[in-house]
Amino acid sequence: MAEIRLEGVTKRFGRTAAVEDLSLTIADGEFLVLLGPTGAGKTTALRLVAGLERPDAGRIAIGGRDVTAEPPAARDVTFVFQQYSLYPHLSVYDNLAFPLRSPTRRVPEAEIETTVRELARLLQIEDKLKNRATQLSGGQMQRVAIGRALVRRPSVYLMDEPLSSLDAKLRADLRLELKRIQVDLGATILYVTHDQIEAMTLATRIGVIDRGRLVQVGSPREIYEQPVDTYVAQRLGQPAINLLPADLLPANRLAAGTRTVGARTEHIRVTPADGQARGRVKWVEHLGDQSHLHIALDGHSLVALVDPDTALERDAAVDITLADPLCFDAAGRRIG
Amino acid sequence: MSPPIIDRAAASTPPALARHIRGLSDRAIAWIFIAPTIVLLLAINIFPLIWTIRLSFTNFRANRTNAPVRDVGIDNYVSILTDPEVWQPMQATAHFVIWTILIQTVLGFSLAWAIDRKFRGHGFWTTVILVPMMLSPAVVGNFWRFLFQPQIGLFNYGISAVTGVPPSSFEMLGSVALAPWAIVIVDTWMWTPYVILICLAGLRSIPDYIYEAAEVDRASPWRQFWTITLPMALPFIMLAVLFRGIENFKMFDMVNLLTSGGPGSTTEVASITLKREAFEKWRTGYSSAFAIILFVTVFGLANIYVKALNRVKSR
Repeated sequence: MAEIRLEGVTKRFGRTAAVEDLSLTIADGEFLVLLGPTGAGKTTALRLVAGLERPDAGRIAIGGRDVTAEPPAARDVTFVFQQYSLYPHLSVYDNLAFPLRSPTRRVPEAEIETTVRELARLLQIEDKLKNRATQLSGGQMQRVAIGRALVRRPSVYLMDEPLSSLDAKLRADLRLELKRIQVDLGATILYVTHDQIEAMTLATRIGVIDRGRLVQVGSPREIYEQPVDTYVAQRLGQPAINLLPADLLPANRLAAGTRTVGARTEHIRVTPADGQARGRVKWVEHLGDQSHLHIALDGHSLVALVDPDTALERDAAVDITLADPLCFDAAGRRIG
Repeated sequence: MSPPIIDRAAASTPPALARHIRGLSDRAIAWIFIAPTIVLLLAINIFPLIWTIRLSFTNFRANRTNAPVRDVGIDNYVSILTDPEVWQPMQATAHFVIWTILIQTVLGFSLAWAIDRKFRGHGFWTTVILVPMMLSPAVVGNFWRFLFQPQIGLFNYGISAVTGVPPSSFEMLGSVALAPWAIVIVDTWMWTPYVILICLAGLRSIPDYIYEAAEVDRASPWRQFWTITLPMALPFIMLAVLFRGIENFKMFDMVNLLTSGGPGSTTEVASITLKREAFEKWRTGYSSAFAIILFVTVFGLANIYVKALNRVKSR
């Protein structure tokens, strides 16, 4: 296990900078999640650490050793791709054994067998070892792909949206599994996703990335409660944060100079009112354990969370007050 | 919603005909559309095949239609399969088929592998490479006769420049030892691009991330080639071999133009023998039997091969 250190790393494709001046240290044993929308540069950042791309500027060190100029094979990393990157003509067993059979490593076949079987048990694919990789379901294929990354003990594990192509149930299962494996192994993992739930549940720290730049790094709690700007604030929270003009609604507390308030559902108090109230319920989404209230208010719309057994219905009039919302200045930076 | 296709078809048809169309099911309409193709196929493929089988059991001669036709049973087959001279065209064909496939596959795959990387003018050079197979075999046969010409031929001068042997000291098409190789060379020149094209399709079908995964897994370029490139392109290579094999088993035009089977009968491949028996000696019954034997051979080999191909593909 080792720490990863990126210093001022920049990568351009043509005239667009995919990653710009990225400096980030991932501590030994840390699970760092890079979070951002498609095209933000998070996959490029991961590929730079793997050595699948070379940076135009900056340096990358793994375990204190400068690896900027080294090919992937020399970096002692494993990589889980977004697509199931299995060798289709090989069996599941041979796919898992592939990284161990590297001629530079010379692992005895008996040891390979023990390792592969142990891993297959962990990933619950023991009965599939003899199958061809192409005869598996999507979830099984991705488990094999993750298994291939876990089969050797590299310095760092790199994962590029490994769960994005799985269905919701399997994604939830594997999320838990991954976190458990990481804790058991004490592994250093750099993980890329656009899924805020994965980021919140897996990460020791989250790095939010926007157009190639790292905007904020911190624990999931920090990122959620103290976002540096509106961009970061919008990345986390379900339903998404409501960004409203500062003078739209009464609030108990606003920092001086606030132009935009960020109201998460927990900041919003909804009270039924008479016909004079400004808020109108546009529709109610019943999700079972909770309900989303979509409210129209002076040409703005916002979403609030209410009890599943709410009596509010469409077209009901409501009053809204804000409690301790996030305050942002004219440039979108948080000031309170 | 638009009306069913059958009503729309009926609406744009003269009323008398429309009444008939409207009564038909979709299935019947489908049959009407494919009927011309089926009739054509039966008339120019299946019927002649059946007729050939029938003729192969007779002593029929197409140039003497008035002579009595006698059933000879399996005599034609017996005399072909026991005739030691029939082995000559079979061997010539085998030599031609085996060597062209071997050379074209190795060369075609290597070249495809080499041009698979992106480089400047990549598309242009791919097109240039494909030019030979766009030419007619008649044209190719004729100008290679000039290239092989001992006194003025470029080929001989080229060989001479490399080896120092005088250009007019050997005759590619006239020598018993060289003629079988001359036809292999020309066929390779013409059809390697085709193999390149198929192999290229195979190589392009291998996604980049598999190579990237292998690179991270510390597989050497050598190991990547043997465990990824070759196995994943194999179904395509086998397909190229199948196409070239079937094509060259019935090779006629190019060889006929280059050597007409000579010198002696060294390059007399099966289809040339067949043409001689059928249209020079007019032994129609005998040559029908010969054609059937060739057909069964190719059909049998191709079937075995396709089974193997499917096994590789389903892996």
